[in-house]
Amino acid sequence: MNIVSTILLICGLLFFTGGAVGIIRMPDFYSRLHPAGKLDTMGILMTMTAVALYNLHDFSIGTVLSSLKIILIVAFLFITSPTATHAIVDAGVRAGLGPWTKEETKEENDLAT
Amino acid sequence: MKIAGLIVVLLCGCLLIYGTVDFPEWGDPASPASTHVSPYYIETTMEDTSVPNIVTAVLADYRGYDTMFETIVIFCAGIACIFLLRTYTHQAPETRLYRHIPTGIILRIKKGGKLPEDSTDFERVDLQWVPYDLIIKTACRVVVPFVQLFALYVIAHGHHSPGGGFQGGVILGATLILYAISHDLRTTIKRMSEKAVILLSAAGVFIYASTGALCLLFGVNYLDYSGLAAILGVDPVSARSHGILIVEIGVGVAVMAVMVSLYYNLSSVGKQDEGL
Repeated sequence: MNIVSTILLICGLLFFTGGAVGIIRMPDFYSRLHPAGKLDTMGILMTMTAVALYNLHDFSIGTVLSSLKIILIVAFLFITSPTATHAIVDAGVRAGLGPWTKEETKEENDLAT
Repeated sequence: MKIAGLIVVLLCGCLLIYGTVDFPEWGDPASPASTHVSPYYIETTMEDTSVPNIVTAVLADYRGYDTMFETIVIFCAGIACIFLLRTYTHQAPETRLYRHIPTGIILRIKKGGKLPEDSTDFERVDLQWVPYDLIIKTACRVVVPFVQLFALYVIAHGHHSPGGGFQGGVILGATLILYAISHDLRTTIKRMSEKAVILLSAAGVFIYASTGALCLLFGVNYLDYSGLAAILGVDPVSARSHGILIVEIGVGVAVMAVMVSLYYNLSSVGKQDEGL
C-alpha cells in the first residue's frame, strides 16, 4: 500500500511540475491555460488517490469514510476545474484576444532588434 | 514630498515596532490575555455549555452580545448599500435583446416595439450579450446543491468543528451569486426576489435578538440560553448548546441575505434589471 501511494504521489507531483513549467513556458494566454487546466486536474487525481490509499492503512469504517470524502473532493474538482478554465478561455475570446501565431513572435523579435 | 512621506512612514513603523517590545512573550501564561477569562473558558466550557468547540461557545454564548451586534452591523451594511445604490424610478432600457430559443437568433427590439413577453420561445438577453454557454450553466447547476448542503453542514456543525453562522452564511450566499453569474441576474431574482432577500436579512437579526428576549421571559439574563430549557425540553446545559445553534442559524440567514442583496445592487448599479 505504501509503495503504491508513493508511486502515485510522485506521478502526481510530476504532473504538477509539468503544469507549473507549462504556465511559465507557454507563449500566450490560451496555451498557458492548457497546462493550468489539464495537468492540475490530473495531478490532483493522482495525489488525492495516494492520500486516500494511505489513509486506508488501518482498515475500518471511519477511514473508509474519510477516504471516500477525499475521492469526493476529486470528483468535484473534475467538474469545476475544467469549467473554470473553459469560462476563462470564453472570456478571452469574447474580449477579442486572438490566438498566438509564429509570425507575431517574429515581428516582436524584429521590433526588439 | 515623496521622501517626506517615506520618512513619516518609516518613523511610524519604527514606533510600532518599538511598541512590540513591551508585548508579553509568545504563549506566556502570565500575559494579560491568558490570565483573566481565558482559563475560565478553557476549563468550564464543556461543563457550562456542552459545546466541544470553545471558539463557538465564546462567540455565541459567553460573548453573545458582541456577535449580535456584529450581525446587526452586517445588516446595516446591506441596508446602507440599498439606500445608496437602489434606484426605484423604473426606466425601461431603450432597446432590448431577445433570443429565439429554438434557432438561437437574437432579436433587437427598439423602444415602442412589441415585446414577446409571455412567449415561451423567447428569452430576454442582457444588452452586454451573455453567451449561451451550456457547459458553465450545467456545471454550476450540478455544483450549487452540493455547496449549499455543505453550507448547511458548516452552520449546523459549528459546535464540533470550525464553522458557524458567518462562514456557512457566506457559503450559502456565494452559491446564489454563482447561480447569478452562470445564468443571469433576472433568473436569480425570479428565484429569490429582492423583497425576500431584505426580509430574510431582517429575519436573521430578529431570530438572534428574539432568542435573547425569550430568555428574558423565562426570568434569566438576556441571551442566557439556559432559560430555554423549559421549551426545548432538555437540561439547562444542553439548552445553552441548542441556543447557540438557534442564534447561529439566525446569523447564517442574515449573512446570506445581505451578501445576495449586496450582489444584486452592485452588479446592476441599483436597477436590478440587467446585470452580470
